[in-house]
Amino acid sequence: MKYAFYPGCVARGGTPELMVSANAVMDRLGIEREEIVSAACTGAGVLQERNQKLGDALNVRTFALAEKMGLPIMTICSTCQGVMSQANRRVLRDPEYLAEINEVLAEEGLEYKGTTVIKHFLWVLVEEIGIEELQKTFTKELSGLKFAPFYGCYIVRPSDALGFEEHPERQTSLETVIESTGAVAVENDGKTKCCGLPILLINQSNAIQMVSNHTGEAKDLGADAMVTPCPLCHLNLDGYQPKAAKRRPSGKIDLPILHLPQMLGLAMGMQPKELGLQRHIISTKEVIGKAAAAPAAVS
Amino acid sequence: MEQTLRVKRYDPENPGAAGYQDYTVEVTDTTTVLDALLTIREDMDGTLSMRCSCRASICGSCAMRVDGQAKLVCKTRISSVAPNGETVTIDPVGNMPVIKDLVVEFKPFWDKMRAVTPYLQPEGVVPEAEYFASDEDMVHLVGVVNCIQCGACVSDCTVLEVDDSFLGPAALAKAYRFVKDPRDGHQKDRLEDLNKPSGVWDCTRCMQCVEVCPKDVDPMGRIMVMRDMAMETGFNNTSGSRHTESFAKSVKKNGRLDEMKLAVDSMGKFNIPALLDSAPVGLRAMRKGKFPWKGHKSSEPDKVKQIFEKIEGK
Amino acid sequence: MYEHDVLIIGAGLAGLRASIEAARMGVDAAVITKVHPIRSHSNAAQGGINAPMTDRGDEWEGHALDTIKGSDYLADQDAVELMSREAGDAIIELEHMGVIFSRNEDGQLGARRFGGQKVARTFYVGAITGSAMLQVLYEQAIKHDVNFYEEWFVSNLIVEDGVCHGVMAMDIHTGELQMIRAKAVIMATGGAGRVFEPSTNALICTGEGLGLAYRAGAPLMDMEMIQYHPTTLAGSGILLSEAARGEGAYLLNAEGERFMKTYAPDYLELASRDVVSRSEQTEINEGRGIDGNIHLDLRHLGRTFIEERLGYLQEVALEFVGIDLAESSIPIRPGMHYIMGGIKTDINGATEVPGLYAAGETANVSVHGGNRLGANSLLDTIVFGRRTAIAAAEFAKGAENHSSDESMLGSENARYQALLDRPADLRSAGLRREMGESMVAGIGVFRDQKSIDAATATIKELRSLYGRVAVDNKGKVFNTDIMAAIELDYMLDVAHAICAGADARKESRGAHYRTDMPDRDDENWLKHTLVYKDGEGSRVETLDVTITNWTPIERVY
Repeated sequence: MKYAFYPGCVARGGTPELMVSANAVMDRLGIEREEIVSAACTGAGVLQERNQKLGDALNVRTFALAEKMGLPIMTICSTCQGVMSQANRRVLRDPEYLAEINEVLAEEGLEYKGTTVIKHFLWVLVEEIGIEELQKTFTKELSGLKFAPFYGCYIVRPSDALGFEEHPERQTSLETVIESTGAVAVENDGKTKCCGLPILLINQSNAIQMVSNHTGEAKDLGADAMVTPCPLCHLNLDGYQPKAAKRRPSGKIDLPILHLPQMLGLAMGMQPKELGLQRHIISTKEVIGKAAAAPAAVS
Repeated sequence: MEQTLRVKRYDPENPGAAGYQDYTVEVTDTTTVLDALLTIREDMDGTLSMRCSCRASICGSCAMRVDGQAKLVCKTRISSVAPNGETVTIDPVGNMPVIKDLVVEFKPFWDKMRAVTPYLQPEGVVPEAEYFASDEDMVHLVGVVNCIQCGACVSDCTVLEVDDSFLGPAALAKAYRFVKDPRDGHQKDRLEDLNKPSGVWDCTRCMQCVEVCPKDVDPMGRIMVMRDMAMETGFNNTSGSRHTESFAKSVKKNGRLDEMKLAVDSMGKFNIPALLDSAPVGLRAMRKGKFPWKGHKSSEPDKVKQIFEKIEGK
Repeated sequence: MYEHDVLIIGAGLAGLRASIEAARMGVDAAVITKVHPIRSHSNAAQGGINAPMTDRGDEWEGHALDTIKGSDYLADQDAVELMSREAGDAIIELEHMGVIFSRNEDGQLGARRFGGQKVARTFYVGAITGSAMLQVLYEQAIKHDVNFYEEWFVSNLIVEDGVCHGVMAMDIHTGELQMIRAKAVIMATGGAGRVFEPSTNALICTGEGLGLAYRAGAPLMDMEMIQYHPTTLAGSGILLSEAARGEGAYLLNAEGERFMKTYAPDYLELASRDVVSRSEQTEINEGRGIDGNIHLDLRHLGRTFIEERLGYLQEVALEFVGIDLAESSIPIRPGMHYIMGGIKTDINGATEVPGLYAAGETANVSVHGGNRLGANSLLDTIVFGRRTAIAAAEFAKGAENHSSDESMLGSENARYQALLDRPADLRSAGLRREMGESMVAGIGVFRDQKSIDAATATIKELRSLYGRVAVDNKGKVFNTDIMAAIELDYMLDVAHAICAGADARKESRGAHYRTDMPDRDDENWLKHTLVYKDGEGSRVETLDVTITNWTPIERVY
């Protein structure tokens, strides 16, 4: 399978370790990809609130570019996934609207015909590659480790834009992938709630409380790390965790936040530096150690 | 077939006994959660307290959390939430204090409604006959007047979970109904009020309200429109509007987002306290090799700029 | 403290409209309601509100005649005239308050057709007119700072020397009983649909307002006039608005025929509701139904139209039956929906008990007579809600402050205690269900002496069993169990009055169709039936219908 790769802005910006680990892991899995270098930011919902049509036009342009490449799009960010899924649904439901947008794209010689499929790497793992094939690439069995899933709002809502009817397994895909490594997926209330990043720069107090609630809960439930398929969530859950810790009576949280590819990389026996694990604000040393000490995978 | 409902019980006259109670009822393919609860209340255990009335999803009384998610139980089929006969857990809605069992104190909800001046405020001479208005405008409002004030959105709002001063999705959707009514003469004042703290900018865009609303009111969508309207009206001095403007500028210029610039612009370039407060975070990030000094670009930023210009006309 | 000039029981459209008028008059008024105002059953009205708009050439006389004919000439014509004349202003006032009525191309109020009328004079908001109006009236009540006793259950009236002086009510949140004194009380508690099973009505429509007035000495008028709405869902009884037919939907039997052409060649699907329901039932009884249903077909209206103008119907169809109205027809049947009967009032809402007024479905002025036209109920609540408030306020001005006998509260407390103390025996729901089923069977679309007698006997038996009703919930907070038991007490009175009226009226008129007396008898029965409580039982008196301009003629659709 080959994909038109759309890493999103933050993978290159605030969380470069995601780009690094994603590339490493996708190479190991043999996922062929070609980046849509001309694509713009999805707008992340922010642009849409200023002008929905503008946001939709930028995304439909990306779909048209992928269509030209003849490839389905793969994202590594929940927010990119969600924003694109919503945009796609809007234009597919309203041919008149799509025609309007195509008019704008015509200047560049682009036209979206409505065939592009957009899948997050998480879904690709479960639906295209399959857990069995994935497990073949593991050299370690992370039994004894506990990971708390944290999806990111945009990859779980609104449910009718994300193909849950045809693919109900998407709703538990993160747990499925966590468990495939041999680790335990820790059931936590916060897993589909908001990390707070969208209001970080607007109401920092609330954003920090959200981080405190979700990482604190996971830590209390015994998680060794939190795993998320969204770099925006990562920015908040990791970057602002020190501040969030002050909201707890103990003053401590210390829950490392792993990008999904980083967790896979650990199961694949990759070196921490290969996965950018040194770039986190909250130290990943302990979980790296635990992973290293984990037994070898049974083939 | 037999179905188990696990219902949250709480009696203020006996708080120590609070907890879940299991009931087993006979259900068919079309039995709703409300049908099952009524069977419990009427034929098995009259001590169960809940609010319900119309059974037809129009009165808004019966919002409850079914397996952790707010729903109108009168239109939730047991077969849809428990396709394999799994136990269904019923809790009262969230973010509101519990009075007894499945009955919550709705006063904070109603108070927030009152806070948005929830009645038409026409200005000028009152016509003898009806105000002229377009059908398009009125039909648009039907979407938001569909709100039956059931509280599902408020129950599952992730901001209300951490901050009960937030006006919340229901009150903001109600505010939208008046902001968008062509007969109301106070649009600017309303937007000004909504632009303040705990108003439209405090929504974290998590889509919970959109997901759980049983009437497709789309509260988050309405909040987003009001943000845009506030900016268009000239209320630009909020970190929220600065955030949006900065985001748009960055994407227009580079095709991509420059997070560092976004952070600074949102807080306000001259907002020294905020900048200082965020400095440790920024410094930590830079030390770890995040935030490249220069933002990255798409390979064809000019094409992106073109789209901005074509759609925004500037 | 717990004392007002005017106390309004019920916060539906009639109650709220009354409260706004009272506020405008500067009267010390309060509304007491057992649910939050927004939850009142007025929110379930779907199709629209009638009004002849004289500035558009729709003369009020036309609406009045349609209403009177629709009532099968049982409506009091002076009351109908009043309602038709005031309707236009009432709609404009609602629009000024903010109701988002649909518009025509000129930006004026748009109208649709409705049952029993040829002129399109039904103003509407999609298929949620009641909800949209209720929300606006509540908003206006907030604006006018109306005082609410929210989630208080009125279980008794304070009546002394035949005069009403207030209520006794339980604060549902605390279980505490209070006396609330008022110089005038307006009963606006809606209908009593739950006396029938199934019914389109909400679970809260238990008619204790009717029972309270009845016990206070006010007669209940024309109680045999029970409206079966032609298009309700089998089983649940959930309503599908007449607006569907108003916008052009068809009624089809098993042979795919629009059978209404046989029964009402002129008005077809838009004949009066009793005529349509009887036609449907006949088709079903004669074997041309489909599983006991008729089909309502909206497909030809198109998806966009359905979603825009009849959105709530599509929601109900999809959610409750799994049917997409744009793709397939939907099975429906006649279902109990409305009581034209009610507490007898004059045209200003005054009952025969001084100090007690009534408005809305609870009252019977009579504007609906033997059958109510669709979209006239919303009009009734607004017009008479307003008038009644004015009359009640006027009365209150002339009345004195009254200190009631406190021992009454003791008795009321004892009544609650008796229920609480009774060890487990019969459940109120069981009796209620039996009552409901027997009432639909006995006082149905078609009835005869045998069926009426059967229902009467069942109600009598259930009344004798009532003393064994016990409750599980012995607590104080939100005790819906004890509320249900007390509601049942009044529901049995209402059921009894319905049976008494049905037995008394020896003819067929409007919704009261007796297969053993199928003809209308204007010579002997151009009268109202009045059921008075009389000792343990009741007595029936009659009252001539007020005829002004319209001589009763044969009613043909």
